[in-house]
Amino acid sequence: MTVDTAHRRLCHALFDALEAGDVAAVEACYAPNMTMWINVSGETITREANLEAVDQGRGLHRRRLYNDRNINTFDDGFVVQYTTHVVAHNGTEVPLSACLVAEVRDGKISKLFEYLDTTQFRSRARTR
Amino acid sequence: MSEMANVMTEYEIRELCHEFFDAYQDGRVDVLRRIMSDDCIVWHNVYGRETTRDENLEAYPNSYTGQRRRTYNDRIINAFHDGFVIQYSLNGVMHTGHKGALWICIVGRVRDGKITRIDEYMDTSKFAAWMGGPRA
Repeated sequence: MTVDTAHRRLCHALFDALEAGDVAAVEACYAPNMTMWINVSGETITREANLEAVDQGRGLHRRRLYNDRNINTFDDGFVVQYTTHVVAHNGTEVPLSACLVAEVRDGKISKLFEYLDTTQFRSRARTR
Repeated sequence: MSEMANVMTEYEIRELCHEFFDAYQDGRVDVLRRIMSDDCIVWHNVYGRETTRDENLEAYPNSYTGQRRRTYNDRIINAFHDGFVIQYSLNGVMHTGHKGALWICIVGRVRDGKITRIDEYMDTSKFAAWMGGPRA
């Protein structure tokens, strides 16, 4: 398998696991010392904190899809541009364009950097 | 750039990326016009819409309103076969003296030594802190 294919598979495995709310499958994508940085807070969180957030986030919405995955890979990582499509419990739907940059080592994600616009998410959720 | 095929090397893509941000930093609209293809599209997650190269460059002076200086720092660049992703800090100094920073990510597509598409991702909830308040 080429590096390109391996990174693309890893990216899809992560997003598929997030969609399914499968914390164990998300964890399987991460290196032991994985960290995640989010532009919203400017803070870096640990793997454990990330997995806890994934677990707690499962019940927040009826459904969350990661669509329009536009993936490009490089030697030690990938970038994916995507649309998070959230369906709330009351049926409202909110699409949000986001970008995730990942560093990959030994087939696992070692760092994640997420960029999104929280203002858009809040305003769209409010107006629907 | 290689003449055998219109494929850019990783080094050429990185150089093009730096040239773009240096030009943006220095207000070199002439350089930006040269290194952005005629049909270059710029998309912002903030607006969710695409603008043309010329629309983008025409808006450039207005984008500086209230700002004394902008620098594009901490550039982390990764190149792929027809583009790049750059994560960077946009540091600004306002006319009030206030200093602000935004964290931004851009995915660029390249062809024949030029940038053909730019997708920009930022968080607008940080804009107020970036601009700061009015001069005391």
